[in-house]
Amino acid sequence: MTKVRAFTSEFDEYRKDESRSVGQAESISFPENEEDVCHILKQLYKDKIPITLQGGRTGLAAAAVPGGGHVMNLSKMNQILGLRCNGGRYYIRVQPGVVLSALQKGIESKRLDTAAWTEEEQKVYEAFCQEPEHFFPTDPTETSACLGGMAACNASGARSYYYGAMRSHVTGLRVALSDGSMLCLRRGENFAKGRKMRLTKEEGGEICLELPLYQMPHTKNASGYYVCDDMDAIDLFIGSDGTLGVLTELELELLPLPAVIWGISCFFRKEKDAIAFTKKVRKEIGQAAAIEFFDEGAIEILRRQKARSTAFSSLLDVDAWVDCCIYVELHCESQAEALDTLYRLGEILEAAGGKETETWVARNANDREQQQFFRHAVPESTNMLIDERKKIDSVITKLGADMSVPDEYLDEVVEMYRRSLKEYDLESATWGHIGNNHLHVNILPRDGEDYRKGKELYAIWAKAVTKMGGAVSAEHGVGKLKRAFLEVMYGRKHMIEMARLKRQLDPYFILGRGNLFPSTILEEGEGKEK
Amino acid sequence: MKSIVCMKAVPSTNQVRLDPVTHTICRDGRQAVVNPFDASALETAVGIKERLGGQVTVLSMGIPDTERLLRDALSRGADTGILLSDRAFAGADTLATSYSLSLGVKEAGGYQMILCGKMAVDGDTAQIGPELAGVLEIPCVTDVCEILHLTDKEVQVKKGVDGGHQILKVKLPVLLTVEKDICMPRMPSIAGIRFGETGPVAVKGASELAADPMRIGLTGSPTQVIKTFTPKRQSESIPIPGTPGEQASQLAILCKEVSR
Repeated sequence: MTKVRAFTSEFDEYRKDESRSVGQAESISFPENEEDVCHILKQLYKDKIPITLQGGRTGLAAAAVPGGGHVMNLSKMNQILGLRCNGGRYYIRVQPGVVLSALQKGIESKRLDTAAWTEEEQKVYEAFCQEPEHFFPTDPTETSACLGGMAACNASGARSYYYGAMRSHVTGLRVALSDGSMLCLRRGENFAKGRKMRLTKEEGGEICLELPLYQMPHTKNASGYYVCDDMDAIDLFIGSDGTLGVLTELELELLPLPAVIWGISCFFRKEKDAIAFTKKVRKEIGQAAAIEFFDEGAIEILRRQKARSTAFSSLLDVDAWVDCCIYVELHCESQAEALDTLYRLGEILEAAGGKETETWVARNANDREQQQFFRHAVPESTNMLIDERKKIDSVITKLGADMSVPDEYLDEVVEMYRRSLKEYDLESATWGHIGNNHLHVNILPRDGEDYRKGKELYAIWAKAVTKMGGAVSAEHGVGKLKRAFLEVMYGRKHMIEMARLKRQLDPYFILGRGNLFPSTILEEGEGKEK
Repeated sequence: MKSIVCMKAVPSTNQVRLDPVTHTICRDGRQAVVNPFDASALETAVGIKERLGGQVTVLSMGIPDTERLLRDALSRGADTGILLSDRAFAGADTLATSYSLSLGVKEAGGYQMILCGKMAVDGDTAQIGPELAGVLEIPCVTDVCEILHLTDKEVQVKKGVDGGHQILKVKLPVLLTVEKDICMPRMPSIAGIRFGETGPVAVKGASELAADPMRIGLTGSPTQVIKTFTPKRQSESIPIPGTPGEQASQLAILCKEVSR
């Protein structure tokens, strides 16, 4: 049985995550299976010890950074447990600590370790191996993310434009509640009635939940609990930021890999042309699986990085005139379809002010790899730049916006970002999922004053984006860093409703304490109500 | 500058299938890609064309599906393609291939420079470039990592040798085999792909080229592959028992043995 160990200095790295925030804890555990998880939960529940859940610690909102108490790191729960087939579709069962790249590689190479699977599942696997290639469509840039963490923050990626976020591909969950009791949730089996939901524990006993009453935005969204009338119970736990339960097992839907995948980078002299192009592609190119954006600031960081680091020397050169780039990924059923679509894309590009000669088209594995390196080098280089600046002024950290707005506000939101960045005289690099009107505007503070101004600007943007009907976090989750924005988005009343929902499942506020809302929110809120 | 670039289709993985009778690689075109060294040769030629003007012809010998790779080369800046495709060419060793390619070179009608990749990643012989230069009776420089100076009369190149580099000046016409990192191959553009799909690629058989039947295919190949096999993996794991201290000592002894 896995032990709860004292949090000595050898575990220092588990105090932080990719958000660069650092916390502290008194104990840590690395459970290897569901039984371990439940045992530890029961042990800590008695003493009401707060538990921060971790996977790959690749999150950007500090949800995995402990604020005292216990750290439960699930990275050793990294087994692929089985496979089932239903109606020609395949569904894979995994532990939460399975790393995305391991899943991708396992499916692609069809070399899964099935020794511990049931005979029936092994038969399904044999059939799967005879099938054309499959893939798991959620593709965040960080492939060392754990699948449990990806479900906990409803992660997405470039291809979410077409395939939807993590939520769309999770078909089953096993969830351990704070007292160590278990829920088994399958998509399509348990629905709320209006805003009331009943959950049945495996051990017996029912929990009746009153769901919050807010309306979620009609955009890509990973801000706060997913709630709507008559919702599927499984959706409540996806995107719950580790605050409602421990995901001990996930079942994920696999999709057949499209026969042809081509990536096209289109370069523009003017940002407004790139936006016009995006809107037209969205309307006319049904085969677009991803529409991504990189602005001048992001491209300039890449140019500098290439010049100074040999690790980036194989990046392709981007001409000096380039102001921004739109990457479109086409998923097609045949070469002929891909070619027709590519030519149509070229026509749209020329009409929007771009040129067919000023594009990169990746049609084979080498070119795709080159293009992916380019896209992934942008956030990596930005983080390196910030780390350097942090050495000069320790207060500096990256300020990365993760907000989305409805389609009709794309021009307005970009105009707002540009105007205010200029007004505040801040350096920035912007990239992200323009197809979903979801841009990561990264402010790059040069000193403490820039950092302060940047934070101020984010609060302003959160208000404006909320007014447009958008979300303050579209894919990173809220964690601890974006709590204030969540309150801007939903207001105090609904934040209290969220905390009350949590209390119904986690009466001592043990799990993910400090994520989404401060742990004291109910005392403050209910004090005022009295 | 009129250049010819020799390109070869190679399997995209290292899990190649071998013909049980001829012991040569089965080339069924599935997932075939262009030899990465040849991609650098193409980019070098296209770069020269862009600087000095001229024309780039890509030349390959292979199954009909290889036309796809030549069209891809057109999309990356080549102007024309010639594919030598005929059952009579099948099973050729490097000598027969070089002779066949020399017929393709003649078909291209004049050149000042022939560029090849340093080697192909499937056969690893690095013989085609020098042998083709031999058949054509022109000078050859292998392993070129930089073109330092180029006029319509001569070229100055940097070539990798053991422990350093050589700088060589050679009169044109010349054949150069290039290292992979001589340049970074570009990606095609949409406009390039439009040209690649419709641009001129001629497919030629042995008789059209008036090939000597005794010098092509298996007949023209003095190299006979007697046997091919997949090398067995020579690795095993040895559990080391004991305390961490004992394990470390034992490991140090093993490391010494391995490095001996």
